[in-house]
Formats: sequence, structure tokens, C-alpha cells
Amino acid sequence: MSLLKTSRKFHKWLMLFLGIQFVIWTVSGAYMVIFDIDYIHGDSLVVNHQSKIDVDNINFTLGDLLEVYPNAENLEMGVFIDQGVYRFTIKSGDGDDSTDKKTQYLVATSNGQQLSPLNEDLAKRAAQHYYSGEGNIVDVELITENPPFELSRRRLPAWRVNFNDFGSPSIYVSAQSGKLVTKRHEFWRFFDLMFSLHVMDYEDEDPSNLLLFWFVLFSLIASLFGFVLTYFRIFKAKNSVEQETAPTVKDMN
Amino acid sequence: MALIKIIHKWLSLLVGLQLLIWLGSGFFFNLMDGEKAHGGQYRIWQQQKSVIEPSQLFDPKLILTQLSKQNIEVISLKQIQLLAKPYYLLTHEKSLYAHFKNNYSLVDAYSGEIVIIDEAMASMLANNSYSGAGEILSAVKLSPPYDDIAREKNNVWQINYSDDNYTSVYVDAGSGRLIAHSNDDKRFADFFFMLHFMDYGNEASFNNIQIIIFAIFTLFFALTGLIWTIELGFNGQYKLSFFFKGKSTLQDIILLDKNQQRINDVNLTRNINLLDALLVHDIALSSSCGGGGTCGQCKIKMSNNNGSQFKVTSADYAQLNDAELEQGYRLACQHTSEGVEQITLLDVTQGKKHQLMLQQSKFISPFIKELRFSLVDESPLSYKAGAFMRFIIPAGKGCSIPLKLPDDLQPHWHHIEHLEYEHLACTRSYSLAETSLNTEELIFTIKIQSAPHNVTLPGVGSSYLCNLEQGELVDAIGPFEEFYAVNNSDKTMVLLGAGSGMAPLKSLIAEQMAVKNSAENSTGKSDETVPRAIHFFYGARTQNDLLYAEYFDDLAEQHDLFNYYPVLSQANEDWTGEKGYIQQTLFQQFDGLGDVGNLEFYLCGPQALMAETITLLKAKGVTDSAIKFDSFGGNNVLLKKQ
Repeated sequence: MSLLKTSRKFHKWLMLFLGIQFVIWTVSGAYMVIFDIDYIHGDSLVVNHQSKIDVDNINFTLGDLLEVYPNAENLEMGVFIDQGVYRFTIKSGDGDDSTDKKTQYLVATSNGQQLSPLNEDLAKRAAQHYYSGEGNIVDVELITENPPFELSRRRLPAWRVNFNDFGSPSIYVSAQSGKLVTKRHEFWRFFDLMFSLHVMDYEDEDPSNLLLFWFVLFSLIASLFGFVLTYFRIFKAKNSVEQETAPTVKDMN
Repeated sequence: MALIKIIHKWLSLLVGLQLLIWLGSGFFFNLMDGEKAHGGQYRIWQQQKSVIEPSQLFDPKLILTQLSKQNIEVISLKQIQLLAKPYYLLTHEKSLYAHFKNNYSLVDAYSGEIVIIDEAMASMLANNSYSGAGEILSAVKLSPPYDDIAREKNNVWQINYSDDNYTSVYVDAGSGRLIAHSNDDKRFADFFFMLHFMDYGNEASFNNIQIIIFAIFTLFFALTGLIWTIELGFNGQYKLSFFFKGKSTLQDIILLDKNQQRINDVNLTRNINLLDALLVHDIALSSSCGGGGTCGQCKIKMSNNNGSQFKVTSADYAQLNDAELEQGYRLACQHTSEGVEQITLLDVTQGKKHQLMLQQSKFISPFIKELRFSLVDESPLSYKAGAFMRFIIPAGKGCSIPLKLPDDLQPHWHHIEHLEYEHLACTRSYSLAETSLNTEELIFTIKIQSAPHNVTLPGVGSSYLCNLEQGELVDAIGPFEEFYAVNNSDKTMVLLGAGSGMAPLKSLIAEQMAVKNSAENSTGKSDETVPRAIHFFYGARTQNDLLYAEYFDDLAEQHDLFNYYPVLSQANEDWTGEKGYIQQTLFQQFDGLGDVGNLEFYLCGPQALMAETITLLKAKGVTDSAIKFDSFGGNNVLLKKQ
């Protein structure tokens, strides 16, 4: 009997302190497994355009490009909204990779017109092109520094285009390359919060933190005590059904 | 609230193991080295780059024109470097992510020639990213799915190295992209990820149906637990003793027995529940759940002088009826002594502990033994017939078959599987089979309970006691007098029992006979002058199971007013007595027993028999107060049915 009592006592007391975290773990865990990760990543927010480069529309050749931008590097060709474009970078600085600043350029293949940096109208057009939903643009913002949590610093400068649709989706368009940088909706933002809560790291979402260590350790202990209770309540309870004459006398009134 | 607890209990069985797996693997993630878990022990991240002279690059327009003639369309063309040489990576089919299915071609950016990544190139790409000492063992081109890189959907080259960590390097066969390094560190970590995500199909996903189902169940598990914890908090089950230091934590309490007789005054601490607090004073209330409020056995009655009501917890509510709650009945495990002035102990009249020594142990039927004990260092006990004692069975090893089984009983035990088991300490109650008027010995008839199926253990208490050797000692509390003959009554006693339910009935009969004999001796009057008639209905399966048959036959012969009705349910041909079920015999004889108002019934046997008998007696017009019963089950199932 003492094992049962000890287990009940420890389970009761440990869970007083751990119980809330158990609820947090299960709520956040359930959220993360129930919502499909591709949906969370906003894959359904954007159209995976397969626009092909129109060869006949390349009037501005690599040679022409290098005449205008002799230091162009990391050349790339593709389609921006509806026209063929060159993308390339130009380094500025003293040649040291760690301090050099790279600027991306976007140039039309048809006539060599430089489209970058994107103005607000072009950014809106691009965002609408990438966006798969029905909503309208509610607000546009050029972010050049102090990016929000959901946008990497490497992606700056970028336009954030917000739509008034289910889940408040945001489409981030690079102000230099015109590429879709990332997309976010409330479900992803909430997922990030849930993940932080799940690993008990509210700064950099790292599961290797001491708070989590102690909580998991004590939770394991508390759960093992819980297991003892389950054993007694379910498997031992069956045994006590065949308790031998344990008289409890009741007057029938 | 009872539902919450039931849900919590059964969910614990359903998700308990998975919860431990989650916690265990979560603990692993907390402790693991993130670098190692990524398989990056020998990974070189910075690739050597050469300076590309843009003017020497092959004009991409020419490549695109060439391809367009072959009807090959291109979504994007990107200049990349592989092995410090420039290439154009052409995308024909594009996905949102590199690891989704993509379709590429690779073109030498200087010559404009199409390049296929062959084994040699893949090996060089791998070598460039590898800092270990191993040699390439093999390079294989593979198609998805992959164990090591489960989310990758493109064809890959797998380059395996002969190092101590079994490194494999994966290169995208279409683009030359270095996908990942994998090694035994990563595979070890992946195993825990598989457990944590329940990803037994290696889909590199935690959105599988099994984890969703478990997550939902576990969510309810945690929520019911939280509600339970909150309820415990409201019921004052979280009391910190050190917060109360300096203040008096003791409460003076008067203990009463069920007849409101003062037993004792005790000082009970307010910091633990009454079940535990009483135990400190050697008062052991019955409890099979250990204080969880789920067995309902630790019922007490609480009162105080100002007459205020005690709070009712959900466990009280589930186990007790409204009338009981109104009168102050509560479960001892749910309350502390705070504000309580008197406690009525219902199943304890004189809960004193005794040490008993076994004097004799013998089989009186194939499965029932008669045990005779004497008290150690104590004067004889006096108790009402029908009383029981609670034995304290220590933890130990038990055996499903009695150790010393006489040869002639062996056949009866053949069908019982031999099973040795360990059991925890527990208490078991047994009725005394004699009256203290006749003997100083404490006599019990105990049925050795065998397991009904192989999932449960055989009767721990009965096996232990029946295997005791002569001269061995055992502790018992009691006797508890809860089932006894009505005082000063001259009504006809009708006793009905079966199996080992014999014990308290035999004791009642013996008591009546002893009283009668002493009355005869003192007054010299004859048998007929004591008008109390006794009818004893006893059911068993076969002749072998009829306990004390000779004793009762003799009694019936000597005393006209004692009538003995043995009934066998599985009698053989030799049997000339009644056959069938005992309750049927009772009703065949019922009208001959006398006026219904002049009958008292005493029942002891299996619950089903008693429930059926009670129903039938009521149909005959017998009032509740004329029926006393002593149940095997230990809890008040019969009362609950009323």
C-alpha cells in the first residue's frame, strides 16, 4: 500500500507544478501535428508559377549586360511576373567577403531596363502575382532594417505586402531581386509561438535549455509515479474484486 | 468530476506509454549535441570559390535558343559554382523548395556543353565537403524514398565513407547540390525523432494519423489531470506543513464508534488527510485506492458543535448519497481535521491490533481451511458472534496451490495452474467462525481463492494465511462487530449462506446455542422453554463442500428448534437431501417458517446470491430492517442498488 500512497503523493505534488506545462505541451503538440506542416509553411498561400523564359524576347544579351554592369556576378535568368529578367549581384567594398556588401539587380531581358530596386507599385504587382488567395492588399511596407521575427536579416531590403484574407497573410518580396522571399500567415506565426512553448525556449527556439531539462526530468519522474497509479487502479483493482470475505454490514434501511 | 477521473484513469492506460516515449525522447533532444544530430561531424561548409570572369561566360541566350529548338523550356537559368567551376543550372520544373521534386539540367558555363553528374563528379563533390579520414567505399545513385534523408524527393548520389562514424554524403543527382551528410550520430538522433513524431513509416513528417489521434487523447489526458489538480487545490489537498509552523497544527478530536460511544480522544494534524492522520494513531480505515477518493471505503461521519456543514468534494458526491452527505458522512481521504470536533468511525468499534499465533490449520473441504489462532501475551477477547478481524498480510511471495496439500485433495486442484507470484502488503478481513462464549481460540474458515483467469493473481490473503505453519505469527486488527444477532429478540432466526459464508453464520448459531445452554443450566428448564427457532439454509456444490455437516446434523438432532437445510447444486447420486440452489429451497420452505413479521434474516455469501435473496425476501413482504447481511465484496454495492 505504501508504494501506492507514495506514488499518489508525489504525482499529486509534482503535477501541481508541472501540470500547466503538460497542458502547454499537449496543446502545442496537438496544434503542430494536426495542422499540416506544408499548410503551416504557407505553401498554399502562393502559386508555384512555371513561367518559361521567352527566348525570342532576349534582346539584351549577356554582352550588353556586362557593358553596363561590368562587375556583375552570380548571373541568373528567369521570369519576373510576366517578363524575362536578368538577376545578378554587384559587390561594393574592399574585396573582403565578410564586410563586402552585395547588391542584387533586376534587369529586363527585352530592353535592359533596370527594374530594381522595386517601387511600391511593382512590389504590389509582384506580391499579387505570387499570392494565390482572393484577398486584397491592405498595407505595404518597405523593410530595410530591424526585420520582424519572421523575416531573415539576409533578405533585406524587402517589401511586406499584407492581404486582408483568412489568417492575415503577408507576402514578402525582395526589393532588389523581386523574388518571393517568404510568406507568412497567422497559422505559421502561431506555430512559431507553439514551438517556443513546446521547447520552453522563448528566445531562440532551442530545445537545449536548462528550463526544459528540469521540467522534463521531473515530468519523467511524475509520469512514472502516474504509471504506478495506473497499475494499481486498473490492474490491481481487478484483483480486489475477488477480495475474500471482507464484511461490511449494512442494516437495510 | 467522477467522469473526469474515470477519463483520466483510462487515458493513462491508453497514452501512458507514449507519454513516456515523448518525455524520454524529448529529454534526449534536450541533451543531444545539435551539431552531431545533423550528421555534420566531417562536413566542410565553406566551399572553395574561384573568381569567374564574366566576359568568358557562354552567352545563356545561345543555350536557351538551342534548347528551345529541341522544345526544351526553361523556367530559370542560374550561374552556380561546382568544384570551383561555373555551371548554369537550368530548371525545367520548379517546386517551392529544393527538396521537393524539381527537374534540372546542368550546363558548363564556359563551353555551353550539357553536363551529367556521374559517379566521378558526385564523388568529387562529396570529397570537397568531407573533412574526415575515411575513403570512399561506394557511390550509388538512388531514387526516393531514403532512410537517411527522408524528406528529399529528388534522385541523389549517395557516397559512403569508410570512417568510424559511417558517414554518407548525399548529392542531388540533377543539380549537384550538396543535400546533407549523414552518419551514425544522425541516425541515432533520427531514431528518437521517429519515436517522438511516431513516424514509423519514415515519412519525415509529424502529421501522421497515429500521432494526431494520440495527441488528441493526450490533450484530454492533460486537461483532465489539470482539472483534477485544480479540484484537489480547492479541496485543500495541497497544504504545506512548513507554512503552518509556529501555529498549532493539531486538532483535538473525539472519536466515537457507530453507537456514538466515545472510543478515544486524539490529536490529529491538520496538514494531512484524515485517512492518513488516523493511521498515525494506529486506526486503519478500509481503503483499497490508497486515498484517491475512488473506492469509497474510508467513509466516516464528521461533526462539530456549531453544526455547520462540511464541504462536499466530488469524490464524496460520487461515493455517498444525499442523505449521507446531509448527515455529515464524508470520505476520510478527502478531508483534513480542520474544523472537525467529532468523528464517528463506522467500521471500527475497537480497532486494536493483536498478534495471533497459528495453533491448527486443516482442510475442512477441498478449498476451505479451518484456522485456529491463539492470542500472544493477551487475555482472551470477547466479541459478538458474526464479528470479523482484519489480517495484515505482509508483502511476499505466494503460490496458487497450497504448499501442503493432502494427497486425497490433490485431484481437486489438478485444474489449477501452478503459479508463483509476488504480492504487496495488504489487509484482508475474515469472519470469526465461533463465539467467544465457547472458546478462547480465534477460529476462521477461509476459502483459498484461486484466480478466476490468468490475468489476476489468486487470493493473496487466503493463500498467505492458509500456508502459515503452526506456531507462526500474524497481526490482525479487530474484532469488528458489524454483523450480529439482534439484541434481546425472540424472533425466529433464518440464516442463509453458501461456501465460506458459513463462518459468521456458524458463529451466530453457536452463540445462540451457548446462550440457550447457559440459560438452561441456570434455570434448569427444558429445551422447549427457550422459544427461539433457528433455520439454517446452507448451499454448497458437492458433498465435499458441505462444511461442518456432522456438527449441524447433530445439532438438528439434539434441538427441535434448530433446523438445518443443506442444499447441493451439483450433488451426485448418493445425495438424498435437497438439490438445486439454496435460495429456491428457502422459498419453498418460506411459508412454513412462520409469520413474516416474526422472522429475522441473516445472510452471508456471494453477492449475486445475496442480491437475489434480498429481492425475493422483499417480494415476500420482509422489511429492510429484518434483513442483515454480510457481504464478501467489501463495498456497499448492495446498498447502492437500493
